[in-house]
Amino acid sequence: MEKLVFYYLAFAMIASGIGAVVSRNPVHTVLFVLGLVLHQALLLFTLGSEFLAAVQVIVYAGAVLVLFLFVVYLINLKKETLKRRFIKNFSPCFLIFLLFTLIVVKTLLFLPALTSHFKARLPFPKGGSPLYFMAKNLFQTYLFQFELIGVVLLVVVLGAVFLLRRLDNPSEEGK
Amino acid sequence: MIPFSYYVILAITLIFIGIFGMVFRRNLIVMCACIEIVINALIVLFAAISYFHRDTTGYIVVFFLIAMAAAEAAVGLTLIVLLYKKQRAIHSEEVSELKG
Repeated sequence: MEKLVFYYLAFAMIASGIGAVVSRNPVHTVLFVLGLVLHQALLLFTLGSEFLAAVQVIVYAGAVLVLFLFVVYLINLKKETLKRRFIKNFSPCFLIFLLFTLIVVKTLLFLPALTSHFKARLPFPKGGSPLYFMAKNLFQTYLFQFELIGVVLLVVVLGAVFLLRRLDNPSEEGK
Repeated sequence: MIPFSYYVILAITLIFIGIFGMVFRRNLIVMCACIEIVINALIVLFAAISYFHRDTTGYIVVFFLIAMAAAEAAVGLTLIVLLYKKQRAIHSEEVSELKG
């Protein structure tokens, strides 16, 4: 049963990933990524983290992909869907992609040696759920990084507003 | 009981798909979505490592990854909208101002 669920989730994730890459319409791409994110939330649920599954659905499906959809709707799609999907001159990109494929194959060959380290499955410490220990770790050991993420998000909001504000003002265009 | 290597294979496949789209697609929005696919593969990998080690550090990395992905998407899409406003182009081949 566990394996069946994993196989279904993995198959759905890979299929929606391929669909996102090959679909002609950007709206379809965003919807395929939405399917990938929802299945991945289920996979995180089976990996013992309900909190991250909820965060995944709320932040990714609720915020990031809606942002993507808004941008897709801002841009004129009528002409876009008629054009080519893939790039034309393959030479430099193809070399990079070939190199990456070699790295992937190399990694897959080393996989049996890698997985022998991951058989321990020690139990979580007594006295709480994984979420309890995660929260404790997050707000004690990684508190500074947590605050730093807040600063990064603030800077992103300010930068986005600043970048899009300047063009709306035609008097600053020439300066 | 699912072995750890299955999760690694799933993550590598997703990273492969994402890099493929990133390299070969022309549309900048789709390229941004491919970065999201790669980040999702990393999320699966870190969550699996955390689950198999019984250590919550990987979950915390996933938490940070989700926040960074949101920030990255916001900045990338802002730049795409800016580019579309200026040049009416969202294809990587049409944006060639920096070409020598």
